[in-house]
Amino acid sequence: MYAYTDFDRQFVHARAAQFRDQLQRHLAGELPDDDFKALRLQNGWYVQRHAPMLRVAVPYGALSARQLHTLADIARVHDRGYGHFTTRQNLQYNWIPLAQAADVMDKLAAVDMHGIQTSGNCIRNITSDALAGVAADEIVDPRPYCEVMRQWSTLHPEFAFLPRKFKIAVSGAAEDRAAIGWHDVGLQLKKNAAGAIGFQVLVGGGMGRTPIIGTEIRSFLPWDQILCYLEAIVRVYNRYGRRDNAYKARIKILVKAEGQKYFDAVEAEFARILAEDVGAGLQLIPQAEFDRIAASFARPAGVVPAADLPTPADAPLPYQRWLQRNVHAHQVPGYKAVTLSLKRAGLPPGDATADQMDAAAALSARYSQGELRVSHDQNLVLPWVRQADLPALFEVARAAGFATPNIGLITDMINCPGGDFCALANARSIPVAAAISERFADLDEVYDIGDIDLHISGCINSCGHHHSGHIGILGVDKDGSEWYQVSLGGSDGSTISGAAMAGKVIGPSFAAEEVPDVIEAVIDTFRAQRQAGERFIDTVRRIGLPPFKAAADAQRHLTAAH
Amino acid sequence: MQFITHASQDPWHAAGGEDGPQPHPPVRAHSLLTLEQWHAVRQTWPATVPAGITLANTVDIETLAADLLRFGLVVLHFPKWVDGRAYTQARLLRARYRFRGDVRATGDVLVDMVPLLARTGFSQAQLRADQKLDVAQRALGFFAGHYQGDVLQPRPAFARDLRQEAGPAAERARAELHAGQGI
Repeated sequence: MYAYTDFDRQFVHARAAQFRDQLQRHLAGELPDDDFKALRLQNGWYVQRHAPMLRVAVPYGALSARQLHTLADIARVHDRGYGHFTTRQNLQYNWIPLAQAADVMDKLAAVDMHGIQTSGNCIRNITSDALAGVAADEIVDPRPYCEVMRQWSTLHPEFAFLPRKFKIAVSGAAEDRAAIGWHDVGLQLKKNAAGAIGFQVLVGGGMGRTPIIGTEIRSFLPWDQILCYLEAIVRVYNRYGRRDNAYKARIKILVKAEGQKYFDAVEAEFARILAEDVGAGLQLIPQAEFDRIAASFARPAGVVPAADLPTPADAPLPYQRWLQRNVHAHQVPGYKAVTLSLKRAGLPPGDATADQMDAAAALSARYSQGELRVSHDQNLVLPWVRQADLPALFEVARAAGFATPNIGLITDMINCPGGDFCALANARSIPVAAAISERFADLDEVYDIGDIDLHISGCINSCGHHHSGHIGILGVDKDGSEWYQVSLGGSDGSTISGAAMAGKVIGPSFAAEEVPDVIEAVIDTFRAQRQAGERFIDTVRRIGLPPFKAAADAQRHLTAAH
Repeated sequence: MQFITHASQDPWHAAGGEDGPQPHPPVRAHSLLTLEQWHAVRQTWPATVPAGITLANTVDIETLAADLLRFGLVVLHFPKWVDGRAYTQARLLRARYRFRGDVRATGDVLVDMVPLLARTGFSQAQLRADQKLDVAQRALGFFAGHYQGDVLQPRPAFARDLRQEAGPAAERARAELHAGQGI
């Protein structure tokens, strides 16, 4: 993991002190709500339905056991005993009183954490592959690059108040586990024919009201130029992005409206930065600095390659299933990465109680070099598990409720907090997720359905990534009651899902009670229509929407199909 | 950072008449002109009298590149404090065009913006009427250094010796650099 320097450490403490000053002025009535809002947002503080929400940054999803214990402590002492892991690899609390905000930021700073730029119209926490540095299919470890970009984007004075939020995702593997096409900037690390490292740069992706996939602006940018190139991308956006309408303010709208003109403007700006700007040359990342940061991400000393162990053929079914779904290939022989499922009956997807956070931290200390990852699909990952430890880990993970063998299956759904917590939401998403989980409680059936991405958002802001789900569910508000739009055929850009694309809506929205029946009807249609070896998404692509739409419409008893 | 707290002590004055800006303002020292006024007089304005100019945050600095040496002050505007376009204008003025005159922030300028203003090259700020000078000065003091290069410090953290940025000597240097004085 990245090791904080004294500079990093005093920086987060300075940020906590600055926030305390702002909070005190606000609480003393000197800093009105309107002015305080943008300041608290850039420290991760929203005002929600019941209390402020705090979004804690987990840079590129990497957490230490010590940090997770602190997150558990904060949940226990300041919240109501739980937190919610998000698709952007962050952690959210929902019940911390604002008056305790500065104390919480101090506690976070004490373990090298913060809420910097987890919200607001600025460059957000940079996300990456949860298997970065351990994935068997890795081309280049993205973490040192993510860290350089984290530093560059942190309190960037020119880009603190952009037209709208700005999200960067980085992948360094053959498989895209970071959904880079869906980000304002998506970066794919690659090696060219000469073995040099660079980035494929996508720009202008995003969800929300207008889902758009990022377009390639550079097929290969030498890695050391990335900060200057990002500066060009963001500067052109800062100058020309729309500010008259929040729904049209994301960079995707600018890229869509201007097309090649935007690309040309970025390239011209990039050339001028390099040729003319004071200090531009200093922003080219020196190899020595890269090496210094990369040294933080060296393989932990305790990781010793070993012979790969065969899977016992006579192992009990639950263990076999766990190996199949929750255990992932590793780049070190004798090791595996293991997903701790946060998708289990009785708890909202992505939620973890304080006790569970402590338990996961303890598992990571015992089995994974004290390191964890937060995955884009809202689970925790132990990146450094010895194959020899798998049977023991399975038993303790199961006892702690982390071993539901459902990764990539229908109950491993992505879900935002929805209307139960979020002030933006039009509808609740947690009860819908719970109803669907209940409907698909039979594990044999879940395995028979196979690989599928089910994504649920409580509103068009798309925190639950409904656009990219093979099945997407979107909460909408009509006359003050909750309705749900269902879409099919979306993709996050992973191999099994195909090129990133938004799903298509299958008709007018459904009533909340109809949703589980609709999902079941859609799944039944798939099972009736699939050909041998076909996944859900393959069948949708092959036969199109009408059969699914007909099956879904047959479930309407409260709503009309037209 | 210099804080413009009393208009009466500000040497710069808008070239306005009773009906708004004069279309062809007379040559006077410390005249603060609109872009339109500048366009009207730029052919005849003497090089020996630095002008001040007020720009909307939509103006492309590039279009004034040839004139910048004739300005003693560029006033950039924040219509809302969360509209960050003027930060880019200021940074380009300094980093690309090497503008050496004053750059002033006006409009909805909050004390909490002051660190960003300083780092993007503003030398003066005219705070919103309800803002407090002592809080603005305090706002400049929280961070010993930043990660990315900026106008005050073009070297990013990775190109500096960070050990020199902690400790009392560095604190003093920082205090001097940021010493706020109202005029």
